[in-house]
Amino acid sequence: MKSTISNTLQKLSRRNEPYVFLVLMLLCVLIEIRSGQFFSSNNLVDIASAFAVPGLFAIGAFMVIISGGIDVSFPALASLSVYATTKFLLDVNYQGGVWLAILIALALGAILGAFNGLFIGYFRLPALIVTLGSSSVFKGIMQGALNSKQLTVIPIGMKNFGTSSLFIAKNPVSGLTSRMPVAILAFLIVLFLVYFLMRYTMFGRGLYGIGGSEISAHRAGFGVRNTKFIMYVMVGMIASLAGVMRVCMMQQAHPTNMLGMEMNIIAGVVLGGTAITGGRGTLLGCMLGTLLIVIVENSLILIGVPTSWKSVFTGLLIIIGTGVSAYQVSRMNRVRSVETVAKEVV
Amino acid sequence: MAEGLLRAVDIYKSFVGVQALKKVSFEINPGEIHCLAGENGSGKSTLIKVISGVYSPDSGYMEFGGKRYEKITPIDAIQSGIQVIYQDFSIFPNLTVMENLAFNSELADRRKIVNWKRMRKIATDAIAKINFKVDLDAMVGTLTVAEKQMIAISRALMFNTKLIIMDEPTTALTKREVRNLFNIILKLKERGIAILFVSHKLNEVFEISEKFTILRSGELVATGSTADLDSEKFSFFMTGREFQKKTFVPLNVSKEPIFQAKGIGMKSAFHDVSFDLRRGEIIGITGLLDSGRTELALSLFGIRPIDHGAVLVNGEEVKIINPQVAMQHKIGYVPEDRLSEGLFLTQSIADNIVISEIDSLANKIGILDHKRRSEEIERWVRELAISTPNPDNACQTLSGGNQQRVVLAKWLALNLDILILNGPTVGVDIGSKHDIHGILQKLAEEGLALLIISDDLPEVLENCSRILVMKSGSIVADLDAAKSDEKTILSYMM
Amino acid sequence: MKKILVLMIIVLMVVPMVFAAGQAEKKTGYEIVVVPKDASNPWFVRMKVGVDEYAKETGLNVYQKGTAQIDATLQAQLIQDLIAQGVDALCVVPVDLESLEPVLSQARKAGIVVITHEGAGLENVDYDIEAFSNAGYGAFIMDNLAEAMNFEGVYTTMVASLTNGSHNEWADAGVARQKEAYPKMQLLAAEKRVESFDNGDVAYNGAKELFKKYPKLKGVMGTSSYDAPGVARAIEELGLIGKAFTSGTGMPLDNAALLESGVVQSLTLWDPALAGKAMIALAVKVLDGEKIEGVVDLGVDGYTNMKFKKGSKTVLEGEGWIVINAKNVYDFGF
Repeated sequence: MKSTISNTLQKLSRRNEPYVFLVLMLLCVLIEIRSGQFFSSNNLVDIASAFAVPGLFAIGAFMVIISGGIDVSFPALASLSVYATTKFLLDVNYQGGVWLAILIALALGAILGAFNGLFIGYFRLPALIVTLGSSSVFKGIMQGALNSKQLTVIPIGMKNFGTSSLFIAKNPVSGLTSRMPVAILAFLIVLFLVYFLMRYTMFGRGLYGIGGSEISAHRAGFGVRNTKFIMYVMVGMIASLAGVMRVCMMQQAHPTNMLGMEMNIIAGVVLGGTAITGGRGTLLGCMLGTLLIVIVENSLILIGVPTSWKSVFTGLLIIIGTGVSAYQVSRMNRVRSVETVAKEVV
Repeated sequence: MAEGLLRAVDIYKSFVGVQALKKVSFEINPGEIHCLAGENGSGKSTLIKVISGVYSPDSGYMEFGGKRYEKITPIDAIQSGIQVIYQDFSIFPNLTVMENLAFNSELADRRKIVNWKRMRKIATDAIAKINFKVDLDAMVGTLTVAEKQMIAISRALMFNTKLIIMDEPTTALTKREVRNLFNIILKLKERGIAILFVSHKLNEVFEISEKFTILRSGELVATGSTADLDSEKFSFFMTGREFQKKTFVPLNVSKEPIFQAKGIGMKSAFHDVSFDLRRGEIIGITGLLDSGRTELALSLFGIRPIDHGAVLVNGEEVKIINPQVAMQHKIGYVPEDRLSEGLFLTQSIADNIVISEIDSLANKIGILDHKRRSEEIERWVRELAISTPNPDNACQTLSGGNQQRVVLAKWLALNLDILILNGPTVGVDIGSKHDIHGILQKLAEEGLALLIISDDLPEVLENCSRILVMKSGSIVADLDAAKSDEKTILSYMM
Repeated sequence: MKKILVLMIIVLMVVPMVFAAGQAEKKTGYEIVVVPKDASNPWFVRMKVGVDEYAKETGLNVYQKGTAQIDATLQAQLIQDLIAQGVDALCVVPVDLESLEPVLSQARKAGIVVITHEGAGLENVDYDIEAFSNAGYGAFIMDNLAEAMNFEGVYTTMVASLTNGSHNEWADAGVARQKEAYPKMQLLAAEKRVESFDNGDVAYNGAKELFKKYPKLKGVMGTSSYDAPGVARAIEELGLIGKAFTSGTGMPLDNAALLESGVVQSLTLWDPALAGKAMIALAVKVLDGEKIEGVVDLGVDGYTNMKFKKGSKTVLEGEGWIVINAKNVYDFGF
């Protein structure tokens, strides 16, 4: 019994999640000490609400990275599909609920994701090149074909969805209130679905397999091309959903202000222990890593770090975080070689 | 005689103008252990891929259990009971043993949803078949090569397997692991499973297989019973060349040792190692993988410096604390894994040769003298007979034997006194192996002092004047090669 | 498969050419290009309305061309492309002053007339046009904020970025105005200036943090057109309507709801369409060889009585500021 506990501990110590969790807790305590506000109910709600959109993006980025790919186009993809959706609904003067916006955006996201999937899955072009290119194409369509500009009025259904809340947290001391947006449900649903997909379907295990060894996956009988293609379609849909949530919550559709998010999102995923080379990582770690980034981005004023130091702070966190996981990997290798030698002596 | 399990008849296959297989026929019976041998580029892999349905032949046909196929798909092959274990074992290093074992059958059953309980049962059953004990939740990447191979074998046996094709299965295994593998192969044979064993290692062919087939340049050169084969014939079939075994006789041995180790040791690797090395001598150091032989080699070259004893070069004590010091004292080291340690595979052959002497090729103001550079390169390509149309080609275009020659050239260009070679012919085909041995003997005759670390016993017996046997970190025997044999050495090693 | 690829590449290459051919209408006279901070910000979309109007009225080859994102590097690249294209004059609304200097110097060396807007610190320009003096406008915003705050309480300032020229000048002027006229107000010492990166979401999240960390904070002076609306969202969500206030630049129709609901009492503005026109008008004057001195009349509303900024030979200031509130929000047509 004792040995199983120490075994479990040993296994845990080789994983990344506990470390990220530890860093996260330390950061939270630091913010609490500096501001006395971190663990207040309304601040926690604020963080959950700021996390919903990056969280959705991170789930998509996680799937892609697990499969051994990389996607830098999701902000552009999300921007394009949600912008097109919003504009269309405004043009037809749609007065109904948010569901139609979600459906249209999901459909557009699937089409745009299929564009990535076609080139990466079927034509086997490198994912980074393809998504850099598609990112430009998506931006170009927005600028050129849609002649995009900020839409400060959004359809009433989207507006209502964005301002509706599950509950409102009130800070008893300061009296400040924060809304828990309904959008958080979209995030939770996707999180659950993707967790199930990655853990309990051959498709999800196939993504891990492809990320580990594409040749082995092919030989084992996974449909590598189809799997990749479908994954990029899914990721396109998740990103578009994130786009809709963002526009609803912001009450305006800005064509470019999601652009540039990809770096911090990918950093968060890697920070959470997902190997950038693919095949290794858990959704839990990915969420912790992303949460860490979101908290840092949204708490520097609370800590008292001047905003001009924000990027330095985030950058340092990424370097330290990824450094810890790199150290973990090298430590694991050392343990492995010792074990290997031990086995051969026996 | 029982009905043949598989027959491939008059197979032709070519790729963009290159004839990979010319009228090759091949036959294997149930429970037969068959060795398919041939040098690099002889068409072995192509034949395997034709049999397993990856390639379809240009002409010729195949028969499985008497049923004739003009063309088969990989799925046909699997359904006919053929399983291929590739050199990389087709594993997922990032996933658990359980998943690695269960994926194939889950996919074959077209399952969509993962049932972890069922997967565990599949995996447990699979490893039980060959009595293989392993933690099903371990990450496959953390296992030894032999364990990965066992996983591949267990997985191959999950289907109604009649023939297992193993591509160079012993390449990265230790002696003990090879023995274990052979035991398993024999057990499979008892169950009527045929094994097609692809190898170019002579001793393995004799030890395990009953039948052999040798290909050369895409043609069948010999097939038959292993009992009728001897090592001369084998070498001839493989290469088309006649080799005379040339046992090394030291000629110009210097009186004074050029290199002396006095009671050297390194914590938890080896201890109290002493020996003298003279010019013109070749000393062999052998032992099992854990005997400390590799660590000793690394220490002598300063990669992992010693912490006990003294090293003398030309009678003077030298502290070899890093490879630069070793090189200053004209000591060179050819590593075991030339692919990762000794060569820049993507760089040109020429650059690889001159890399270590690059400083001496520069003129006074530090600019590379291109004329001298090309002279050097030409000289070594010629002297070591590196077969390449153009030394500017990338090193990875060469065969294993030729790559090893490039590593040699790189060191010889430095005018060394002492050369340490770790596993000089690992993964090298017979012809090249023979040539490399010739080069080493010639170098010794020219006055170089050589130290060969190898567990290939015929190699050390043939090429060394003295053999030091290591066990658990110390030298347990110092043998005269001419008066020794494999049995004696093995008795000290084990 | 390869064929499909090749076909796609060809299509990708041909399509832009067709578009380009369609756009190549012949225009006479000067070629003057207006380069805004980006192409999608409604502020610059409005500026384009003025530019296009000017082109229609005069028949000159005048157009506006912006980058996809607000990005100093991209803007510099775009200007370099235009220099290579050999335009006659460039009217630029700079993203970042310092990084633009070398490119503008390049343009002037190539004989191109350079007019800027909201770039008072720049050296390598012929003239810079300000709708008003930065000091005047900053004070004007402060007056509006102070009125909302009932002339008392703690406030802070928000700019797009700390390197942004005019935003920081407005903020400075606002603070100066407060010290001089509103002694009961106080600048938040711990966070005197925060950045919004011209992003409503950053302004919103930043404001939420500020109000949480500093319970005494009662007002935020916005500068960029994203600041005050973003802060207003935070005020609304935190339940601070009537307790915390913001004022600053903002487009009327976009913020109609905020103004009408009382979350924001007033916003300040000048008309970018007129500023665009004024830049071009000045460029034409320079190209025509007219002397620019004394009081300059550009023939554009609010820019008829332009004077050089004190101590400057390049910066011309007008009197173009306006206040927007619930009463007049629909009067501007944009």
